[in-house]
Amino acid sequence: MSGDMLAVYRHDAHKFVRQSHAQASETYAGVRVNERVPFGADGDAAALSRPVGEPDTTVETHTNHRRLSLCTGTTQNLDGVNVDDAMHGLVTERDAERAHEQWLASDVAGWFNESVYYPYTSLKYHTLLVAALVRAYEEGSTFADLRLVVDPPESVVPHRTVFAGDEFALRITPESPKRPRIRLGDTPSRSWAGAWSRLPEHPLGTDDDAWAMVLDANLRRIQSWSTALQYVEDFERWSA
Amino acid sequence: MTWIQQVCWRLEMDYLGHPYYVSGNAIYHALKQVLPADQRTRIHASHGMFAPGQFGAFPEWHSLSGSRPALGATLPEVTTYDDLWLHRHPEQPWVLDSRPRDAVNTHDIRTQSGQPAFAHEMVFGRSAESRKTTWTTSWFVHAYLHADDPDVLPIEEEALDGLQFGGQRNYGYGTTRLKATQMVDLDALGYGRLRGADAYRLELVTPFVLRSDYPGTNDVDIPWWWTVETTHLRQREEEIVEGPETYHCGTVDHGQVVRYGGDRPVVTAKNAIRRVGAHSKYGFGEIRVCPIESE
Repeated sequence: MSGDMLAVYRHDAHKFVRQSHAQASETYAGVRVNERVPFGADGDAAALSRPVGEPDTTVETHTNHRRLSLCTGTTQNLDGVNVDDAMHGLVTERDAERAHEQWLASDVAGWFNESVYYPYTSLKYHTLLVAALVRAYEEGSTFADLRLVVDPPESVVPHRTVFAGDEFALRITPESPKRPRIRLGDTPSRSWAGAWSRLPEHPLGTDDDAWAMVLDANLRRIQSWSTALQYVEDFERWSA
Repeated sequence: MTWIQQVCWRLEMDYLGHPYYVSGNAIYHALKQVLPADQRTRIHASHGMFAPGQFGAFPEWHSLSGSRPALGATLPEVTTYDDLWLHRHPEQPWVLDSRPRDAVNTHDIRTQSGQPAFAHEMVFGRSAESRKTTWTTSWFVHAYLHADDPDVLPIEEEALDGLQFGGQRNYGYGTTRLKATQMVDLDALGYGRLRGADAYRLELVTPFVLRSDYPGTNDVDIPWWWTVETTHLRQREEEIVEGPETYHCGTVDHGQVVRYGGDRPVVTAKNAIRRVGAHSKYGFGEIRVCPIESE
């Protein structure tokens, strides 16, 4: 099981180094990378964040794995950043739970997109979504069993937590904890706005905080899961 | 005949107002400035929904099909009940996937006096190498009016043009231009899709007011025809601003979905277009009835 989870955190290593999947190396720094993820979870996670079918270029001037930010409209400036170092930690960690924690906390993973065709998506949150799906599927759950659960910020559940911010955390799980939660639906689709809009409680101060209301307003407009989760992270920093 | 007047405005300047929508209250008070007294008191204004002026394709539930340039900036013909909802969901389901739909459909935010303002237009595809392929998209506001007295409508185009919404209006913020308006007779629409389903769901398009500080308003419970416990519904505070006074309201937040517990879905649908509950005159309590398709 731990091997499956480590494979998740290593499955898109080629996107950091601008290799296509077909040409991707099998190993990186002595560990196996770019392996197929079990249970079809990679495809299901992709369906949460991108249109299905043959991809189309959506931003003609942008055809690389650097993520475009919904907050700034541009990519992160990588001058002076050692991407190799950051990637090394994310990909070569041998303890699966620590790998999950590293991805949750990583800035660099969020500076890349999950598909060059959809440059506003996030490699960081795509990978965390794949992890939550693999975790659920390997236990025998189906997609239709899954829920989005709002947790306190310090509550990180290994492989299930898909977002951990300053104000709250989000987890995808087949369990029904006594926390605000909403079913994801029968099949994976770009259902972020629908799920977020229907949560029985929101973890934002929307009664009196104009910035929280603006964040909430935009979260109700976004369909892609990885784009939305990355937007919450970007917004927290950008408006701070 | 039961008329509503659909209105589409284009934002000409950045907007510093309610972020979920231009409130019906704001639209009502902007109109009050320009309408004669006998007309203005009889007007009811919906909340105004933001839509990008983008290419789009009609959703499968719309009576029209195919794609259309600048669908977010137009008022297509309305012949069925479902057609009314084309621009009224924040997701704007008609935005095409062949463009970066989530970037197109989220507001760019600018800071003005420490407060967030929405940009009135956005530029995409800007890069150092190829400036030629950038494109710009403007934001539009979609609302509809109805009146106690049928003779009051339509409001003339001159009165609808140049209205301002939101804060800092003295500096030009929230200036709009009228893009399009059209009359729709609710009694003449097709309600066929609402007949014969086993079950229905209600989409809360705008918040439903449970309690309000506004003088003369009574606390209410959720309507009997919603099959849900109040405790299972997310609530949010709203405000009604009238001159120097601000009145607080407790609402069931919009965007939520409940099961329909009544047995007259077409009657409910027709009533809920013109909204239900307190402050319905100002946009609250707008509900869409949807059939639950059997498997």
